[in-house]
Amino acid sequence: MIYFLQLIVTGVSIGCIYALAALGFVLIYKASRVINFAQGELIAIGAFIVYGLTVWLGLPIWLSLIAGIILMFLVGRGIERTFLRPMIGEPIISVIMVTIGMASLLSGLVFFTPFGTLTSRFPGYLPDTPLLFGGIVLRWEQLVGVILTLVFVSVLIFFFTRSTLGIAMRAVADDQLASLSLGVSVERVFGLAWAAAGMSATAAGFVVGSLFGLELNSLTSIGLRVFPVVVLGGLDSIAGAVVGGVIIGVLEQLASGYLDAFVPGGGTGDVFPFLVLLVILLVKPYGLFGTEEIERV
Amino acid sequence: MIQGGIVAVNRWFQSGNYRRSYREDQTIFATFSEEASLLVLLVVLFFVPVMPFMNRSLFRLVDLALIYTIAVMGLNLVTGFAGQISIGQAAFMGVGAYAAVTITRDLAEPLLGFSGTIPFWYVLLLLPIAGLVAALLGAFVGLPSLRLKHLYLAIATLAFQIIFTWLVGHLPWLEQGGSIRIPRVDFLGQVIKSKLIGPFYYYLGLTAVVLLAFAMRNLLRTKFGRAWVAVRDNDRAADAMGIDPGVTKIMAFAVAGFYAGVAGALLALLNGSVIVESFTLDISIDLLAMVIVGGLGTMPGSLIGPAFLLFLDPWVERLAAFVQGFFPATINVGTALRPTVFGLVIVLFLVYEPRGLANWWRILRQYFKRWPFKY
Repeated sequence: MIYFLQLIVTGVSIGCIYALAALGFVLIYKASRVINFAQGELIAIGAFIVYGLTVWLGLPIWLSLIAGIILMFLVGRGIERTFLRPMIGEPIISVIMVTIGMASLLSGLVFFTPFGTLTSRFPGYLPDTPLLFGGIVLRWEQLVGVILTLVFVSVLIFFFTRSTLGIAMRAVADDQLASLSLGVSVERVFGLAWAAAGMSATAAGFVVGSLFGLELNSLTSIGLRVFPVVVLGGLDSIAGAVVGGVIIGVLEQLASGYLDAFVPGGGTGDVFPFLVLLVILLVKPYGLFGTEEIERV
Repeated sequence: MIQGGIVAVNRWFQSGNYRRSYREDQTIFATFSEEASLLVLLVVLFFVPVMPFMNRSLFRLVDLALIYTIAVMGLNLVTGFAGQISIGQAAFMGVGAYAAVTITRDLAEPLLGFSGTIPFWYVLLLLPIAGLVAALLGAFVGLPSLRLKHLYLAIATLAFQIIFTWLVGHLPWLEQGGSIRIPRVDFLGQVIKSKLIGPFYYYLGLTAVVLLAFAMRNLLRTKFGRAWVAVRDNDRAADAMGIDPGVTKIMAFAVAGFYAGVAGALLALLNGSVIVESFTLDISIDLLAMVIVGGLGTMPGSLIGPAFLLFLDPWVERLAAFVQGFFPATINVGTALRPTVFGLVIVLFLVYEPRGLANWWRILRQYFKRWPFKY
């Protein structure tokens, strides 16, 4: 029983990482219908920026997190400007391939820096002894992840419901032509969506870096894990990203906890989210909270 | 109205479009000179292996290009002509390759008692069988296309690709992704190994490419090809016209699977073994890139794309060696430059030439077709 609860707790904290990564993905899709295959690279770049600010410039870790988030805001906007702006109106396979090409390009550029072969952790900034609840272990870093997720989600909810720019983004997501006619700058909204994606990716990368250490491949592979999360939650739903992330995180931990014994070589947790993805696609393709697309002839 | 046959027509050098009947419109070649130029190209390709500049690494490149051309033809069919985005083509290649290897290891060797080498007639049987196995899996993977469209279908194929890689990496029957050997081919008493591998697989690959390209071109001319294009453009309208979109989509996946399976089996034979790393998501993305750079939905595109991207590699290596001098030794420019150039090529093509290299080829052909007229 303790084992089961431990798996759940670990799953929730891992799920929050996925939720942060998926938030950015969902924002981009919501605003511009673009599938971002480069989310993993954004996570990696964000994490490396924070690492660089901490280790090389010697800033305190929380300050470098904030600074990293602000820098990634600019990076996200720059990426949208350079790669996605020329692709407006192109068929979806082209846009998917542009994000794939961009992912390749970004990871290649990371290899030009010392970060390509980096395998280090953030300098310790939290107590080493984890929290103990009964027999359940919760590391401080995992708690940080959960808190960051809650902060991001509440900021986003506030932003989308109360601020003018947020409502403008929702308008663009709903009907681009109508919002254009009302004076909303659709291009600014796209840039903002990508910037927000960069910010949440930085937060995700920060948590992963604190928990597992920084390494380019493991960070970019999170970008793939985002797909089961957003399909489960709904491609254009922020609440879905969080709920989906937590559910996938928990399912992954439960699968690897209980099924690894039966599978030669273990690693059931790697494939289980994708099996769930297939099942969801066949049963409820729009996910838990996604808006259904009704095709009219 | 000018009837075909009444006006004198130069079937060799006519300038412009002179197809005057439905029957003429269905032909692949508009003029005899087009057919002749294709034959000349085939003759030139036939003599490539005896050229003095061919060495082992160049042979390997060319053989790989031919093999990937087959897989890319299949991918172009399902994604370009039928409109179903497939990010799992490498998995189908893997199915074909592993099918070839396991059939040889578990069925053929005990039953037919090959010792150390496999005869050529067996290879000729193995390739279509591997293709059929992959086609069956292709049909299975195509099942979601009955319910899903576009983006969701792409994500489903992505999931299949990842599940395939994981399965192969964890099944003890498949050595958990490790290397499984396939014996060398015995062609008319001569064992194909070391120096003979390059030319032998070149001709085998070239024959396969020619046959499969011929088949694909003709498939596209028949009702199947038209059904695929109809489903791509508007599947509800195709349904209203009597074309079953579900069957059409599944058939597209199956045919793409067949092509990929043959390509995978050839790759297994060329390498002498299979490992799971040859069939991962990265390879699927490479194949998609080859399709797009070549030209999505065009026949010449599938032939140009793989060659272009594969032949880019040695140049990137040379550039990396040159640039390495400017960087401190801790940074390996080779591993950095390859994905950078790859991504840059894809992005530049998509932004500036979305119709791919086949578009340049088309413009070139039109220029010569219309010469000396301008239009």
